[in-house]
Amino acid sequence: MMNFGNLTMWLALIAICISSASYLVLNVKKNSTVARGAAHLSLFCFAILVTIASISLMYFILDHRFVYSYIARYSCRDLPLEYLISSFWAGQEGSFLLWVLLSSWLGLILISKARDMEPQVMLVYNLNNIFLMILLIKQSPFQMLSFTPVDGNGLNMLLQDPWMVIHPPVVFLGYAAFAIPFAFAVAALWRREYDRWVNAALPWTVFSFLTLGAGIFIGAYWSYKVLGWGGYWGWDPVENASLLPWLAGTALLHGMILQKVRGRLRKTNFVLAAFSFLLVIYCTFLTRSGVLADFSVHSFVELGITGWLVIFMFVFMAISIGLLVVRAKEIRSVKEAANIVSRESGFLAAIVLLSTSMVLIGLGTSAPLITRLFGNPSKVSTKFYVDTNLPVAIIVLLLLSLIPLLTWGANKVSKLAPRLIWPVTGGVVSGVVTLWNGFPGAGVFLLSLFAGAAVATNLFLSVKLIRKKTIASSAAIIHLGVGLVFVGIVSSSAYDRTQKVLLPQNILKNVMGHEMRFNGAAISTNTKGMWLHLPVSVKSGSHQFMARPDIYSERMRGGQIQRYAHPHIKRGLIRDLYLSPVEYEPGQKNAHSGSRFYLEKGKKIRFHDYELTFTGFDISGMMHRESSGSVSVGADILVSYKGGNPVKVKPVIRIGGTREETNKVKLPGPQQAYITLVKVDATAKAIGLAYEGPACAAKKDAERSCPALIAEISVKPGMSTLWLGALLILAGSTIGISRHWPK
Amino acid sequence: MSKKSYIIGGVVIVFAMVMAARSFKSTLTTYVTVKEAKMTDQPVQVAGIAVQGTKKYDFDRNVLIFTLREDSGDEMVVEYAGSKPANFDDVNKIVVIGKYAPQKQVFQARQLLVKCPTKYEGRVKGK
Repeated sequence: MMNFGNLTMWLALIAICISSASYLVLNVKKNSTVARGAAHLSLFCFAILVTIASISLMYFILDHRFVYSYIARYSCRDLPLEYLISSFWAGQEGSFLLWVLLSSWLGLILISKARDMEPQVMLVYNLNNIFLMILLIKQSPFQMLSFTPVDGNGLNMLLQDPWMVIHPPVVFLGYAAFAIPFAFAVAALWRREYDRWVNAALPWTVFSFLTLGAGIFIGAYWSYKVLGWGGYWGWDPVENASLLPWLAGTALLHGMILQKVRGRLRKTNFVLAAFSFLLVIYCTFLTRSGVLADFSVHSFVELGITGWLVIFMFVFMAISIGLLVVRAKEIRSVKEAANIVSRESGFLAAIVLLSTSMVLIGLGTSAPLITRLFGNPSKVSTKFYVDTNLPVAIIVLLLLSLIPLLTWGANKVSKLAPRLIWPVTGGVVSGVVTLWNGFPGAGVFLLSLFAGAAVATNLFLSVKLIRKKTIASSAAIIHLGVGLVFVGIVSSSAYDRTQKVLLPQNILKNVMGHEMRFNGAAISTNTKGMWLHLPVSVKSGSHQFMARPDIYSERMRGGQIQRYAHPHIKRGLIRDLYLSPVEYEPGQKNAHSGSRFYLEKGKKIRFHDYELTFTGFDISGMMHRESSGSVSVGADILVSYKGGNPVKVKPVIRIGGTREETNKVKLPGPQQAYITLVKVDATAKAIGLAYEGPACAAKKDAERSCPALIAEISVKPGMSTLWLGALLILAGSTIGISRHWPK
Repeated sequence: MSKKSYIIGGVVIVFAMVMAARSFKSTLTTYVTVKEAKMTDQPVQVAGIAVQGTKKYDFDRNVLIFTLREDSGDEMVVEYAGSKPANFDDVNKIVVIGKYAPQKQVFQARQLLVKCPTKYEGRVKGK
């Protein structure tokens, strides 16, 4: 249906096509100012139109126009502002729009940065935008329903987190940016200038590395914080979809630097640039087309854009392969005398290793597609990714601890030797600490050893370079970050201790050295569902805090219940305490409060932590019948708390009046526990008592009947190190952008 | 580069490829029935429902235990050490991935996925 939103998108498609056509003309008539003007103007219009489309979608969301199917599916009236905003990119259509939006803005910047390569660079870059626009029009966020729902479905609870507000824009900025090195690479092949493009494209490659990297880390952090399964990386296709182009981009980054500095790898860099961009499309295809629907728990559902994505992919593949084949012969790289011990070999190794890892992860992620060709579609388990990437990671870290110490060209061993003190010290320290905590197996031990060495080497270099010339320290800082990330990965995965525990209400339990007491459930509600707040007071050593995990459940349209368990994380410098609620058991109803029981005279019974003996009635109150006609009866009871000395208590009941009156009597012991005399049976010489107080005794058999929280408690060392490493990678690459920004 | 280094490089690459292929094959899991799962020692995935009232926790061994019943009516006991997906009790389909241990007569799940009949496309994880 043609409405305002769809109209702007069609106009945007037309604008970008005009821009591309003008660039085609400009490629033929090199100095046509008309063509150049038209290209710029239409590109500018494209960006404006896409921006208008985005603003109107955002406006419709904020204005709750549920007649738009997309808005009805992903937002609702009572969402707070920040999540109304993020519902823009909660689904497939909106996230494509976001992608195009960011891509169009980057395009405007790119015009001025491409300089004389502009006609070719922009043509390729525009082609990407044309495809995105086609996908977007096929899957328009402006599709309207035939009626207007009163309210929308709302935003998935899991996405209602500040990190998920910024995660998609950051990832799509990275996705959009990967088209730039590709555009430069194709332009370079076209123009037969095999070197110059590297200088122009390098800062953009670093930019893609930074943004996609940031997106990955934000996603991992969110997964750890929100999903409650205690991990940060699950090798899920959607996660791999951002990791694959990132690895390819990292390989490209190394290749480009090697070409810039030493004039090598001219051909390889074209391949890598093409690969990183094609992987963006391939991964979009994997996660958005529904081909993995059965295998990824969160790939977007099938929406019928598969065909377009495949065409999209093949066109770009044909362009890159075709051009490369045509030009391959004339591309010459500088041949150098082989210096095995040199920085160059390190760069080459980095490219090989990153590519290996990329191929392995790509293979694993594509497993359902590959195996479909031979029969039953199957997927690989996470073990595949871990097992195959472990040796790669070990070598990467080993190299990271040595190569940065080398210079370009030939290295003298005598000069190198004194510097080895750093990796050796780091490795030894890390090794000793690892062994101290228990041998984790040969592979992980090596990983930890070299991670420590890599940290030490790059810490030394970072400090040294920051002092000398900050801008030159980018690589050292990134590599330091990588080392720290791996230290974090090793310690949090090999030394994670997880325990499922039953925490009965108000009973102190020792869980891995922490005193924990579940304080009972509290309920709060909103219009859609309810929170079960499950506070647990935790005491570890002298430190005490209240953990507040909760379980949120809401009823869906179809009547099913959707549940979300929110963990509580107590962060620490060395280790995190992760408390994830699994289940709340309300317990047997009468065990909670006001439970009643009978006592026969002279018989001792156990109740919770108490032993009670009913010794006899006190009928002294019967002697003076009151005007109301009621009498008081007391019961003499001997109570001992946890086998302590018996204490005499006397609850009293006043009967016979207009209503019964009872008094509450506190039981001995430290707990706030009371009994009330509720029934007197003189013939059977028995009394009925009501109990109020802590529901549970520490007795094992009593545990099942009282309210309890089943929780998963884990101690995860190294998480702070991991996030610190991630931050350093991002900081280092930010410095890297300015380092390589063309002057 | 000398001929020798090419040969060494080639051997390393071939070795790595063989190892990767083996790992790929050995971790491939395909959907099977309960009957088939009990027959093989390969990791597999089985879909079914958790039979009501069979869910329990073994806190000493740190596992969640329940009986999985597939559409055909066949059942098996499943043991799972990971985190229980929050939606476990509400969904009508559960996929367990792991191996059957014949001597213990229990399916040891390494991964547990819930298929939720939800309107959302969002992620629900069970790892």
